[in-house]
Amino acid sequence: MAERSRLLRKILRQPLGIAAVCGILLLVLLMIFGPGLYPHEPNRTAPLATLQAPSAEHWLGTDELGRDVFARILAGGRVSLAVGLIAMLVGLTIGSVAGAAAGYYGGWIENLVMRLVDVFMAIPAFFLILVIVTSFGNHPLMIILTVGFSFWSQMARPVYAEFKKFRNAEFVEASQALGGGNLRVMARHIFPQVMPQAVVLATLGVGWAILSEAGLSYLGLGIQPPLSSWGNMLQNAQAYLWLNPMLAVYPGIFIAVTVLLFNLLGNALRDVLDPRG
Amino acid sequence: MTGYVANRLAQGILVLFLISLVTFSLINFAPGGPSSLVSMESTAEQREARLRQYGLDQPAPVRYLRWLAGAVRGDLGDSINQGLPVERLLVQRMTVTLQLAGYAMLLTAVFGILFGVLGALHHNRWPDHIVSVVTTLGMSVPNFWLGIVAIIVFAVTLGWLPAAGNATLGGGFDLSDRLRHAVLPAGVLAFSLMPNVVRVTRSALLEVLASDFVRTARAKGLPQRGIVWKHTLRNALVPVISILGLITTVLLSGSVVIESVFGWPGLGRLAIDAASGRDYPVILGVTVMVGALTVIVNLVVDLLYAVADPRIRYG
Repeated sequence: MAERSRLLRKILRQPLGIAAVCGILLLVLLMIFGPGLYPHEPNRTAPLATLQAPSAEHWLGTDELGRDVFARILAGGRVSLAVGLIAMLVGLTIGSVAGAAAGYYGGWIENLVMRLVDVFMAIPAFFLILVIVTSFGNHPLMIILTVGFSFWSQMARPVYAEFKKFRNAEFVEASQALGGGNLRVMARHIFPQVMPQAVVLATLGVGWAILSEAGLSYLGLGIQPPLSSWGNMLQNAQAYLWLNPMLAVYPGIFIAVTVLLFNLLGNALRDVLDPRG
Repeated sequence: MTGYVANRLAQGILVLFLISLVTFSLINFAPGGPSSLVSMESTAEQREARLRQYGLDQPAPVRYLRWLAGAVRGDLGDSINQGLPVERLLVQRMTVTLQLAGYAMLLTAVFGILFGVLGALHHNRWPDHIVSVVTTLGMSVPNFWLGIVAIIVFAVTLGWLPAAGNATLGGGFDLSDRLRHAVLPAGVLAFSLMPNVVRVTRSALLEVLASDFVRTARAKGLPQRGIVWKHTLRNALVPVISILGLITTVLLSGSVVIESVFGWPGLGRLAIDAASGRDYPVILGVTVMVGALTVIVNLVVDLLYAVADPRIRYG
């Protein structure tokens, strides 16, 4: 009980973190219910009402095809958030499993996995994404997997270090002596030690994944129109910088605020969970 | 020392070999692999000829070994879309990327260390808070969007700076013209990379400032400026060098998206054009080259540790 109230006090001392949680919840609710409540379709074109200024009818105006910008931002937000969250889970899962196996078993598994980590660390993440997306196509599912895959090596390193450190710890030996299998020892006894670091990395990873998807879609290699994402809205907008620069401003603000919220949450979590970081 | 360097270089070559193998496999075992290049040729004979021209009639392992045999002699094959040797394209684009990378690196290092010191010296007071707001923004704002906004403000609205390219077309070499073109992309890159330097400098400095020898120096009555710039910063340098090395590799790989925003004809631009044009030899060449640069920079960084901290020795 005393433990719990201490944790609660630590959390209450992070007003920015709490604000970030509220902001993220708000954003998620907006993306879930917004498209149903807002009266415009994201893909309905209106040749007579292109590049309009914001109005009560079109909250953020219309784009070059007369599509409602706010409706597209809501629809694109679903895509961007989904890519961010799922890609992070993919990277975290691959990285944790590989790092844990390398640290716990040692031997040739350790050698193989850590050499692979070296290789993937030496290829800049964005290049890896480019190579995979050109080879395997840009289906949204492929984009999610690729963005997630591109940071498995960064996730694997810290997990590996912790598993290696605790491999011979007394509580691990005790569990093994009591007949705990390897998987049980890893999941029940060592993983909780890595948890705080993993949570922090994962939170920051969401922001990174959203930025990667946005960059990729901005280059025209990511999410393809007519499906909107914040990144490909920016790509569209760049052709109209001279006519209507605000088209390029709105999606960017949404990306920036979303990533900012996840970064603030990650920093706050680091302060609460990971005293060494 | 020489033994250490030789060992590291050998490891680096192994990593490069693996990078080329991974990239080659990704490209060749994908559903839309190189053989899809010839699908638009009309007759069977034309398709045959095309396949033979690119050596695609051979099985993948043979093609990889051929590529490898060429690569060790500095021949990375020909670009499919541009018809030029890949290594010549790489060198040409690299020099353009280096101009931007050097400029951005200078800004990142100078302002990053300066703000880091500022934050650490005024720990938890208002300068520190301002620095942390700026760095958090730098980490969250997508750099390519910042680039677009910078173009809107400085090129479209104010008309102070050019919006794209690395030089005015048709003019000869003109240093001030080159610098004017590089200001926006380099500034944007520095703004988004700087937060990493600030954070590392600040936390390393805070750690050293709390140590006993700094207290001794203060007790002796040494001036604050000397303590910070000579005693403390020198001791906080190792993590700073390490993050600067990491940033160098990011910049050398051509900061893919920023080069695209500003129409900067460097390595990143080459990679994107190759990716969207399915120019496989170029993709493979760029990836291996960027990998090689990363390996070299990492080695240099490790050697610099020993310069910054004489206690570090490599046997």
